Amino acid sequence: MASVASARWLRVSCGLCVPLTARRAGPCGRTPSSRFYSGSAAVPKDEGADTAGTEEVVIPKKKTWDKVAVLQALASTVHRDTTAAPYAFQDDPYLIPTSSVESHSFLLAKKSGENAAKFIINSYPKYFQKDIAEPHIPCLMPEYFEPQIEEISEAALQERIKLKKVKASVDIFDQLLQAGTTVSLETTNSLLDLLCYYGNQEPSTNYNFQQHEQTEELEEAEEGDNMKSKKKAGHQLGVTWRARNHAERIFALMPEKNAHSYCTMIRGMVKHRAHTQALSMYTELLNNRLRADVHTFNSLIEATALVVNAKFEEKWNNILDLLKQMVAQNVKPNLQTFNTILKCLRRFYAFGKLPALQTFREMKAIGIEPSLATYHHIIQLFYQHESPSKGSSLIIYDIMDEITGKTFSPKDPDDDMFFQSAMRVCSSLRDLELAYQVHGLLNTGDNRKFIGPDPRRNFYYSKFFSLLCLMEQIDVTLKWYKDLIPSVFFPHSQTLIDLLQALDVANRLEMIPQIWKDSKEYGHTFRSDLKEEILMLMARDQHPPERGSSADSRGLSAAGGIC
Amino acid sequence: MVALYCGGGLRPLMLSWSRDLPCIWHALHTSVVCFKNRVARVRVDKGNKPVTYEEAHAPHYIAHRKGWLSLHTGNLDGEDHAAELTVEDVFLRKFMLGTFPGCLADQLILKRWANQVEICALVLRQLPAHKFYFLVGYSETLLSHFYNCPVRLHLQTVPSKVVYKYM
Repeated sequence: MASVASARWLRVSCGLCVPLTARRAGPCGRTPSSRFYSGSAAVPKDEGADTAGTEEVVIPKKKTWDKVAVLQALASTVHRDTTAAPYAFQDDPYLIPTSSVESHSFLLAKKSGENAAKFIINSYPKYFQKDIAEPHIPCLMPEYFEPQIEEISEAALQERIKLKKVKASVDIFDQLLQAGTTVSLETTNSLLDLLCYYGNQEPSTNYNFQQHEQTEELEEAEEGDNMKSKKKAGHQLGVTWRARNHAERIFALMPEKNAHSYCTMIRGMVKHRAHTQALSMYTELLNNRLRADVHTFNSLIEATALVVNAKFEEKWNNILDLLKQMVAQNVKPNLQTFNTILKCLRRFYAFGKLPALQTFREMKAIGIEPSLATYHHIIQLFYQHESPSKGSSLIIYDIMDEITGKTFSPKDPDDDMFFQSAMRVCSSLRDLELAYQVHGLLNTGDNRKFIGPDPRRNFYYSKFFSLLCLMEQIDVTLKWYKDLIPSVFFPHSQTLIDLLQALDVANRLEMIPQIWKDSKEYGHTFRSDLKEEILMLMARDQHPPERGSSADSRGLSAAGGIC
Repeated sequence: MVALYCGGGLRPLMLSWSRDLPCIWHALHTSVVCFKNRVARVRVDKGNKPVTYEEAHAPHYIAHRKGWLSLHTGNLDGEDHAAELTVEDVFLRKFMLGTFPGCLADQLILKRWANQVEICALVLRQLPAHKFYFLVGYSETLLSHFYNCPVRLHLQTVPSKVVYKYM
């Protein structure tokens, strides 16, 4: 019996295709009686029909459970609380954010408090030495940022490299060379690694914050014109590879270079946008009859695609050449290789569609499991310009059919951009079924973590909700409204306007005072377009005097309160 | 000598020669010295002093009308480190008093659970919300590093001190 139950568990977790009726029920499919996943009211019947048939029940000899299996089973019975704020906030009405700006500022304030505490801890480490945790918790001990070894030696150089002090390590390296001592190959390679990673500049203290903002702005720029985005990217990323900088100088000074040195230099050059130099370094590597590793090849593919003044076919042929060389050097491609190819093909517009499909088939043929980033690149390639009149392709349906019910693990930094692009396509195609499929994929297993940071999550949910307002019956829309807002995202004024128009179409204008009360909470009272919409709808609504007068007067007084 | 007669049920008598002579009355107290108990209670005054529920109840009401301010298992039979936990409590209360200046509405409640410490504080709405979050992030991180265990802060805001009665 236990094995049948466990088999049933496994079947459900593989993700059966959720039936239509259950899915339409949306959030209210989560009744207390449905145990595992939402909308699975029809599932037990299917199960019974199947296992009563000719299926063999294999009883395993011994079943090992994870240490937290009981906790996971208990956790699966509890669903998301739709009335609670996200757990990162304090549970108090004064301290719960009411708009996305506030939530962003609260989280930033908390993080800056943590940074202030870390600054104090690392400035006075002698007061924080008490170590009573058993086992030892390394992240609760102070960190040491100052190098301890003072004399000029290779150990001092290694220490400064570990502490990521670019300028200090270059100084010590020069002093070592002047003193005549030879520095070992590994140490020089690690110094080159440090220099190439940071682009010969000191890593700034808010390096992480800067990177994040820059990648976000790059994303928005990519949605627009390609040329504009290139200029913007060049302006904002800032760190370019200058000629005759430390890395090149040290590289030239090295008596012996192995493959690692060349590879590091190539990857550093590509990261800091010195593409032609990277390609020439690669020819040098080949001349020395050395082999590059798979990461270097990935960078080279990127470099080939980003070289200016070359036609698409030429670039594609160069990439194919690189792949052939990779095969010749016996280097196995990995997931990043294919993702990089697909990302570069995005720049080729219409030309890149056929090669993209070929790449995808090749990836499946080799046996590499595609990640969400792969599908994201394919979607971006095929649905680049939002013009459905041009006869958009149906590839999104194939993609969704393939990945429905699968759980993914993070393998690529671009994995969290899939849901945003998928929902954008659903919204432009005006397809509600597809949107439900995408949302179902988000809710399977652990895929929630791929929704991405706040702006992306807000984009996803506002597009989803706008589609619901447009295409779904009003009762279901209102249930989704209660479910999603405000616990998952804060609505824009445009979202509320869409909801009001949906109410208008469905002739449910008595909900307007409620919507107005909610929009006051989210701080939209100062949006003139929202106010105009509400007033216009209220003026249009003809209430019968005895029932509607109270609602009407309440609504008008509420609206009058803002004028 | 005056005859010794005890008062019986009456009040204790004083021994002297005579009641009329102006002599020193050697007042003999026949009971043990017993001072009035002044610990952790607010003396009833004219009725103009606002007190919270916590302050209004004397310590003999703990476990009857009051709960504990600091919850840990150090005082149970067979458990140790009660003294270290008490010293930690004192430090935490002083730390929070200083970090949230003028914001604490009542005494802190400290709960210890496995190796975690949860500080539950009732705060007044003196600061804007993002400043509260800054202080929360700061104190959680600093205390976690100081005590080498996860320290969590739960705040509840009130508009003003919650008055139970006026004593």
